[in-house]
Order: sequence, then C-alpha cells, then structure tokens
Amino acid sequence: MAKKFRRSKGQGKGSNHEPVIRLQDLSKVYDGGPVAVEALKNINLEIYEGGYVAIMGPSGSGKSTLMHIIGCLDVPTYGSYFLKGQEISRYDSDQLARVRNREVGFVFQQYNLLPRLTAAQNVELPLQYAGVSVNRREEVVEKMLEMVGLAERSHHRPNELSGGESQRVAIARALANDPAILLADEPTGNLDTKTEEEIMGLLDELNEQGRTVIVVTHDDSVALHAKRTINLLDGRIV
Amino acid sequence: MSFFSLLGLSVVTLRHHKSRSFLTALGIIIGVMTVITILSLLEGLNRKIKEEFSTLGSSTIYVQKVEWQMGPGHRQLDFEEIRKRKNFTVEDAEAIVGLPSIQVAVPSIGKNVGSLKRLGNKAQNCELRGTAEGGDLTGNWVVEQGRFITREDRLHRRLVCVIGSYIAENLFGAENPVGQTLDVGGHRYLIVGVLEEKGAMFGNTQDNVVIIPISTYLKYNPLPRGWRAIWSGLSIEALPKPGVPLEKAMADVEEQLRLLRGLHYDQDNDFGLNTQQMIMTAMQGITSTLWIVMVGIAAISLLVGGIGIMNTMLVSVAERTREIGIRKAVGARDRDIMIQFLMEAVVLALLGGLIGIIVGIGIARLVSVLVEFLDAASPWWTVVLGFGFSAAVGIFFGIYPAQKASKLNPIDAIRYE
Ligand SMILES: Nc1ncnc2c1ncn2[C@@H]1O[C@H](COP(=O)(O)OP(=O)(O)OP(=O)(O)O)[C@@H](O)[C@H]1O
Ligand SMILES: [Mg+2]
Repeated sequence: MAKKFRRSKGQGKGSNHEPVIRLQDLSKVYDGGPVAVEALKNINLEIYEGGYVAIMGPSGSGKSTLMHIIGCLDVPTYGSYFLKGQEISRYDSDQLARVRNREVGFVFQQYNLLPRLTAAQNVELPLQYAGVSVNRREEVVEKMLEMVGLAERSHHRPNELSGGESQRVAIARALANDPAILLADEPTGNLDTKTEEEIMGLLDELNEQGRTVIVVTHDDSVALHAKRTINLLDGRIV
Repeated sequence: MSFFSLLGLSVVTLRHHKSRSFLTALGIIIGVMTVITILSLLEGLNRKIKEEFSTLGSSTIYVQKVEWQMGPGHRQLDFEEIRKRKNFTVEDAEAIVGLPSIQVAVPSIGKNVGSLKRLGNKAQNCELRGTAEGGDLTGNWVVEQGRFITREDRLHRRLVCVIGSYIAENLFGAENPVGQTLDVGGHRYLIVGVLEEKGAMFGNTQDNVVIIPISTYLKYNPLPRGWRAIWSGLSIEALPKPGVPLEKAMADVEEQLRLLRGLHYDQDNDFGLNTQQMIMTAMQGITSTLWIVMVGIAAISLLVGGIGIMNTMLVSVAERTREIGIRKAVGARDRDIMIQFLMEAVVLALLGGLIGIIVGIGIARLVSVLVEFLDAASPWWTVVLGFGFSAAVGIFFGIYPAQKASKLNPIDAIRYE
C-alpha cells in the first residue's frame, strides 16, 4: 500500500555530494542541574540523502540528545549543524519551527499524540501549522492514514488505538508535510516483535522511496534494517 | 493556524473544563454586569430627566417659597418656618418686571379641577392656571392657534382661556376650539388659543391646562392656605432679558424680593429661586457620583476577573505543557502557541462579557419594571463597552501566561510530567 505514496522532491539528484545532515564539532552540555552533564562531545557526522542510519549505544550515551538536536527540538551548546547546507545552529526559533514543520519528521517512543484529537486531527496538525488549505489538508490526511494502513481508524482517538496503531498515526503525522528526513527515537521500544516488524517494514519502504531515515534503537534486529550503524558511547561516536 | 481553527480550539478546550471556565469568567461576568446595569440605569435616568425638565423653560426663574433640592448634601428643611413664609402677590411680580435685567415676569397659580366635559366628551384631571401676558414665554408654551392671554384680558378680568392640546383633542376632536366656549368651575370661558403639545413631566401630562388671566383666577378661586400654600400658592415666573446672564438676573430678583419682603441683611432668604439649570446640575452631581461608584466596582471586579483568568491560564499552560511541546515539535511557532493561549483567554473573557451584558441588561429591565419612573436604556455603546472591556481584560491578563507557554523549549515541554 505504501507504493501509492512516492516522494516528490529530492528525487533523481544522485550526484549530490553535499550531505543532508552535517554535524561539526557538536557538543551538548546540560548545565541546569547540580552538575553539568556533557551529553554529546565533539560529534562529527555526515548523513547523505536517502541514507538509512541506526544509532545505537547504551542508555545515557546521548542518542536521544543527538536526535533532538538533529530534529531541531533542542539546540547544540557548541559546534555547527548544517541541514541541506544551511547552518541550522544559527536559526532563530521561528526558523527552527519551520524546519520541524517541513524538513524533518519526528517519531517518539511514546507516540506523543494529542489525546483529545482524533487520528486524523493529529495528522492534520503539521499541515495546519504549515498554513495548508482545508481541502488540501483533508486530502493529505486521508493519503497519509492510508499509507500507514489506518484509513478506517481516522476518527478514533489515541486511547482507542493500540500501541502499533498509535505509532503508525505518529509516523503519518511526521510525514504529513513530506519532509526529506524522518527521525525515529526508539519507535518500537514499546511494541512487541510482530508490531515492530510492521513498523520497521514501513520505515524500510519510506527509505526505499528516497527519504533519509534515522532510527535510534537498542535492538540489533531493528538496526539490521538500516544500511549504516552509528555507535555512541558516553556522548562520543565510536 | 487559521483564526477559525484557533477559535474552535479555544471553544473546545473551554468546554472541556466547563465549571472551571465558568468560575473563572465569574469575575468578568460580575464586572460587566455591574457596568451594564448601572450604565443602563444612568442612561435611562439621564434621558428621563432631560425629557422631564425640557418641559420647563430653560432660563425661567421660578420664584417659590422653597428652594428645590436634589441630590447629595441637601439641607434639612424646617417646614414649620416655611409654612409661615409670606405669600407672593401680583404686585411682587409687577415689581420684578420693573427690573432692568428682566424681560418678563408673571404671577402663576393653579389647581386641579378634575374632569372637564363638553357634549359627552371628557378630558380628565385638568388643571386651571392663572397667569398674565408673557406667561407663554416663561412657561415655555407655544401657541398653536389663536393667541395667548393679553394685558387687556388681565386688566378686564375677562373670562377667556387658552387650552392645552390634550383638552383640545379630547373635547373638540377635529373641530377648531378657538371661538368656542369651555365651562370650568361653574364659569363659561371663551377659548382664545390652543397650545402646542408639550409632553409629560414625571408621568404627568402638561397638556391638560386651562390658562386664564390671573385676575380672573383670583376673583373666582380662593388662595390655598397653610401647608398647601407652600407648593400650591402663588408663584412668580421671571425670564431674563436676552443676553443677560441667568446669575445676574437671579441676583437682581433676589435683591428685589428681599427688599419687598423686608428682610434684614442678616436674615436668610424666605423664598427660593429655582431654575431648570439647578436640577440639571444637581442631577449631574448624582450621576457623576454614581459614575465614580460604578467605575470603582467595575475596575475592582474586572481586576479580580482578570487575575482569575491569569491564574486559570497559568494552570492551563502547566497542565498542557506536553501538548505545547508536541505542537512545537510538529511545527508550531512561538507566536502560534502565544495566539492559541491568548485566544483562549480572550474567548473566556468575552464569554464572561456576553453573560455579563445579558444579565446586566436583564437586571436593568427588571429595575425599570419595578421602579415606575425609571426606563433603563441600554444603548449599543454600552454593549460595545462591555465587550471591549472583557476583551481588554482577556488580552491584558492572558498575555503573560500565553507568553510563558510560547517560550517553552519543545523537548523540555514534551518530557514534562
Ligand atoms: N534535560 C536534561 N538535563 C540534564 N541532563 C540531561 C537532560 N537530558 C538528558 N540528560 C543527560 O544526558 C545524557 C544523555 O541522555 P539521552 O537521553 O540522550 O540518553 P539516551 O542515549 O537517549 O538514553 P536512553 O537509551 O536511556 O534513552 C544522560 O546522562 C542524561 O542523564
Ligand atoms: Mg533516549
């Protein structure tokens, strides 16, 4: 069913040598608490368009921190982050909001759907913030839910959906504005093996369509889906 | 997000917390209700007063035994002393006419003569009033047909009368009353004029008068005595010459009357000089006091209401920290979050305002029904004012929580427990 949905932009530019994501001497220090925690230390990383990357490492190694920075949910303390050649680390909050809205889609372990909205309304959110017209929004929401195989659950609220279904709604939401990059932080952490395979199959398809996919996981079976694995230890790439 | 999506979102959120929203809006409801009620009553009162007293001559000086008193700070009257005050006479009026600042001064006295009848028609509750030439000017009458009382009528104590429009309509219908006769108190008067309609003062029509020469009146009607003489005795109406300030004319009349009544320099006036202006001024005093009270009540309750809104919005922001984080994660800008929460505060305040306006108008209507002479008026601008105030309170007290919400860091907000 995912074949119906093909990425429109960024296709056929095989000779593009600028990475979509480039991190340069990037560090993140949390100094809010009693002691400063250096969660990321001097990260240098390049990820190319169409890449499929698994980030692994023990708990507390900085995987989520890295993903949040790549997803513009947080900002680095030192260093630079280039997205499609643009230096994101210099962006103001409005520009970052625009990046979160259109350039990257984020999938959380806890799904993070808004509980009072239906599946369709959750998927519609990024489209609303993008200023898409009502008619177009309906169209896209339908297409997205169909892509994740939940067309008939569109009027259900999150508490009426299983974990796997919720995560698929979250993926549909992350892709609503057709971002080039999909980030998933332990997307199958709360799911059983069968559902995990379904979700990972969906990510595989999305990657086959040309989307850059980055997955954080503890699970080797999940990491096997990716073409490249990055290991973090104590905030460093090893 | 579009305006309507945001509006819908606010309504949904507020509906989800019905009782909390209502309690929060209560301050605004009470504030706006107070403003609307008092404004409506004040406006009604003001219109009533303007209407009532416009039947009086605007610069006529009414010389009576007592000074009109209204509003705050009036003196306690010693009616025993007032009862003993000397009556005014036709000669007093003549002495006042002689003053250089006075254009015309007339004696005036009247009484109720009940129903007047003619050919099976009836005019109820009529008033017989004796006055002199010029009484049309001081009494603010306009002669519609025929003429007013003249000097000759007075000197010859003629049995002539000028009638009010109510009597003309009820007794003569479409006929022209001028030249016909009217029987009042056992005497037959020749109708020489008809007055234009004047309207009512405090619910009493002014158009039920039969005006006759003062000399004729005094010949056939005894003067009231004792208590009745205080208000129903002979009074004098004087009109300043054009261009003469009212105060100057009043000072002259006062001096003349003190002389006529033989008052020593250390004695108080034993008469009152009354003008429409005094009533207006007194009423303005009352209304401005009410205004201050209203502004005070309104300000306090709107402040309380505003703080309530701020508190509820802060609670709401804290409760919905995750929601804010999620919205930001999918692309909401600071200003989208800001507007969402501000909108919610304003919608809450406006709903409070709406209820306040409805209840306020309701109370004002109720008061109008209960208090006979008060007709509350709620002009459109009171409604605009009510909504304006609520919106302003919503914005003012909603900004801080909305700002707080908009500045949250997305990931901290999402991880908030
Ligand atoms: N907001 C924060 N304030 C202070 N320290 C933080 C904060 N968030 C994360 N850290 C610290 O940063 C380090 C990296 O955390 P992070 O969440 O990135 O780890 P992780 O690799 O995702 O772990 P897990 O596999 O358990 O999810 C940890 O030591 C953590 O305690
Ligand atoms: Mg993590």
